[in-house]
Amino acid sequence: MRVLVFALLALLSFASHSAEDKYEFANAERAATFKALTHELRCPKCQNQNIADSDAIVAKDLRDKVLVLVNEGKSKQEVIDYMIDRYGYFVHYQPPVTPATIILWVLPVLIVIIGFGFIVFRQKKASKKQQWNAQEEEKLAQLIKQYQRQEHNS
Amino acid sequence: MNKKLLGFIPFLIFIFLCVFLYQGLFGNPRELQTGRIGQAMPSFVLPDLMDESKQWRDSDLKGQVYLLNVWGTWCPTCIAELGYLTELREQGVRIIGLYYEQAYDPDFGDQFDINALRNEVQTMLERAGNPYQFNILDLDRTLALDLGVSGAPETFLVDANGKILLHHTGDINPRVWRAKFAPVMQELSQ
Repeated sequence: MRVLVFALLALLSFASHSAEDKYEFANAERAATFKALTHELRCPKCQNQNIADSDAIVAKDLRDKVLVLVNEGKSKQEVIDYMIDRYGYFVHYQPPVTPATIILWVLPVLIVIIGFGFIVFRQKKASKKQQWNAQEEEKLAQLIKQYQRQEHNS
Repeated sequence: MNKKLLGFIPFLIFIFLCVFLYQGLFGNPRELQTGRIGQAMPSFVLPDLMDESKQWRDSDLKGQVYLLNVWGTWCPTCIAELGYLTELREQGVRIIGLYYEQAYDPDFGDQFDINALRNEVQTMLERAGNPYQFNILDLDRTLALDLGVSGAPETFLVDANGKILLHHTGDINPRVWRAKFAPVMQELSQ
């Protein structure tokens, strides 16, 4: 039984390995670029899959094109730009910083700053209320005395 | 007074979020995907679907406003829109087909038969109506990739100078034509 499981596991790892070996590259760096790109580029047809994952015909075409471009020696960013030229910003899973999208980066920071500002503001306001002077000190002493006497009386 | 106003802020944020998320429910995620609007038609040299000795170039298409309709006989929606597109042709709209073949894949050898495809297209157009001046055959889907096509049917509106004005994903029906294409066509004819 144990032998069988091991054999199956070995087969599995072999299968996943051969799937990646389908593509050939001049060096390891290009292979890594190709892998990163197919995981980062989004399939325009089945929108919640990357092109490595999708079986749509357009995803296959994009994979083939990425392969050609990478083997031509294009950098990762050049391939991304090539795809964005054709399919729009939509095709890349990482949105660029543009005037329209800057709010995604600025808003969380703003919320944190405003939150802390609010806490500081409240603390300052609260500490202002607790001002203490000689008159109040005297009043306090008097009150203490008053209640002490009452305790004695009872 | 000031405190009361402050108390309203969370409520306002809540309302804003509700409106924002509610809108998201009805947005069409396929609307945005295009990178080619406002740019020139990519250059290409591709054969005619019916006659491989005839080659079409991007420069051949210039000089008149036209629709480039990406389609295939394997695509039911494309067949469904043939009727309305034929009506548009009768109204004087110039429609050129870009044939998007799915079955052709160099990795799979010779399962693909061009003559069978021509017969199929011929029968289909005779039955459902023929809106096309001619069809360009894009076997390797290179022009489709350059145009940012993700499937079929898709339609581009191109002006006489070869500039892409519209990219529509999905079928063309009277409602889409009225809302999206007719205003631009009107503007072009003035």
